[in-house]
Amino acid sequence: MTAAGIIAFAVKGDGAGALAAMTRGCENAITITFELAGPYLLWSGLMRTADEAGLVDKLARAMRKPLSRLMPDAPQAAAPVTLNLAANFFGLGNAATPFGLEAMRKLDRCDGRASDSMAMFIALNSSAIELLPTSVIAIRTACGSAAPYSIVVPTFLASAAAAAAAVVSCRLLGRIVK
Amino acid sequence: MRAAEIAIPCGAALLLLYALVKKVNVYKAFVDGAKDALPQLVSILPYLAAMLTAIETVRASGLTDLLVRVLRAPAERAGLEPELIPLIVLRPFSGSGSLALLREILTQHGADSGIGRAASVLVGSTETVFYTVALYFGSVGVTKTRHAIPASLIAGAVGAAVGILLVRIM
Repeated sequence: MTAAGIIAFAVKGDGAGALAAMTRGCENAITITFELAGPYLLWSGLMRTADEAGLVDKLARAMRKPLSRLMPDAPQAAAPVTLNLAANFFGLGNAATPFGLEAMRKLDRCDGRASDSMAMFIALNSSAIELLPTSVIAIRTACGSAAPYSIVVPTFLASAAAAAAAVVSCRLLGRIVK
Repeated sequence: MRAAEIAIPCGAALLLLYALVKKVNVYKAFVDGAKDALPQLVSILPYLAAMLTAIETVRASGLTDLLVRVLRAPAERAGLEPELIPLIVLRPFSGSGSLALLREILTQHGADSGIGRAASVLVGSTETVFYTVALYFGSVGVTKTRHAIPASLIAGAVGAAVGILLVRIM
């Protein structure tokens, strides 16, 4: 992807622009890591506390059955997967990411390949099911909408369709792509 | 929103109290958990740098604009508003970029216009797929992502299509 971008810059004869864009990309990575750091430390700490109190285990046991249909080889990741999807659902993106990373760690088989369960988890995340899309509602209000919430129901239904498509396409593609 | 804002801190307080009742060394547990998070953060950074460099280069070089231009004719023939195409193309690459574009569309066409509502639903029902993939797979060092990206993009496309259709009939 980077190479394609650089070639496109070269075609336009804009070398300085290419370098500036690449540098900006790395700067974005630093910014995002720092933005992520605070919530990540907080939720990792709370997660460990919940773990030692036995709560994570309880949640995992409750969710193992329903989740095993989607991610059959991943009973060990049931708790963080549930917490990630729940945090996303309630619009807590900050809290969702630490749980998501924890889930990926639990799903990892250390072979550098994505498992079916990992792909399913990522695809489900991409369907963005959310109770209230808060950032969109905020922008609509700022832009003078008379009914900023009017998009909530269609957004929810579209997300649900996306989630269904995620499950189906993961199942089908997972069989083809080894 | 009020209820949700108060629910999470209360949940955290309940969790800490419950842990105390269970005789967990809360302070030590929290510190241990946070300690685990640090190397994790550092290990993500290079993957994010690589992916975001790629995304930024593709976007700034005008390749996404090119994609928009290529898609315009077939999309219009399918009955899609041309104003929405840049948003659909940009969405999987950049979260802040697509929010800025949404603001632009809403200001230009009105937040309650058909296009404004369709753009809102589009942004709300899709995700920055490439960022999620880079972050989550990067954190565990997975480089063979197999079908994760295509499946995510298909999910996004279905979400976008259903969203646009729903806005027209609702």
